Amino acid sequence: MEQPICCGVKLGQCVPDFKLETFNPGTFGFGEITLNELRKKGKWTVLFFYPADFTFV
Amino acid sequence: MSDLADRHEQFNSLEAELITVSRDTKFVHLAWQRDEKLLEKAEFLMGSDPTGEVAKLFGVYDEQTGLALRGTFIISPEGILLASEVNFYNVGRNVDELLRKIKANLHVARHSDEACPVNWDTGDKTLKPSEKMVGKVFEAMK
Repeated sequence: MEQPICCGVKLGQCVPDFKLETFNPGTFGFGEITLNELRKKGKWTVLFFYPADFTFV
Repeated sequence: MSDLADRHEQFNSLEAELITVSRDTKFVHLAWQRDEKLLEKAEFLMGSDPTGEVAKLFGVYDEQTGLALRGTFIISPEGILLASEVNFYNVGRNVDELLRKIKANLHVARHSDEACPVNWDTGDKTLKPSEKMVGKVFEAMK
């Protein structure tokens, strides 16, 4: 039996802080971003996951 | 992702930070964005999640492949997860719908007594649920 994919943060729950290294094409620069930084700026965060670079959809 | 690249300004105007995330490193993100003409206009942050830790946090990490599924998540400035949508590998998303959901969430965050009905978009009528509206949504939508 294949393992199901599940068990993330649920709707209405508070998302724990996380950190991502980033490439910013706008400035052509590397950086880091955390959810807490975005929250402090009063911003909404939209995460857009995808399987891999150089794919097609 | 090319559609996201073309419409990044719309995300900015909504006070929303768009971050695309895969397990690729920032170096690969750079190479892909530089090579792929469709991403020429990209200005969104391209996040690197090499261990899949963030994908696991949102339940979109596929143990079978070690890749992230096509998950989209909207988080409020208070840190609350307010929308999620996950597609399997071979079906792309709809950027219009993503923008619509962000706008609707912004609207109800500012007007907590209102609700955005089906297909709502900016400028459309909202509903104020109350005793009077029970069983009378048809009339309220007119």
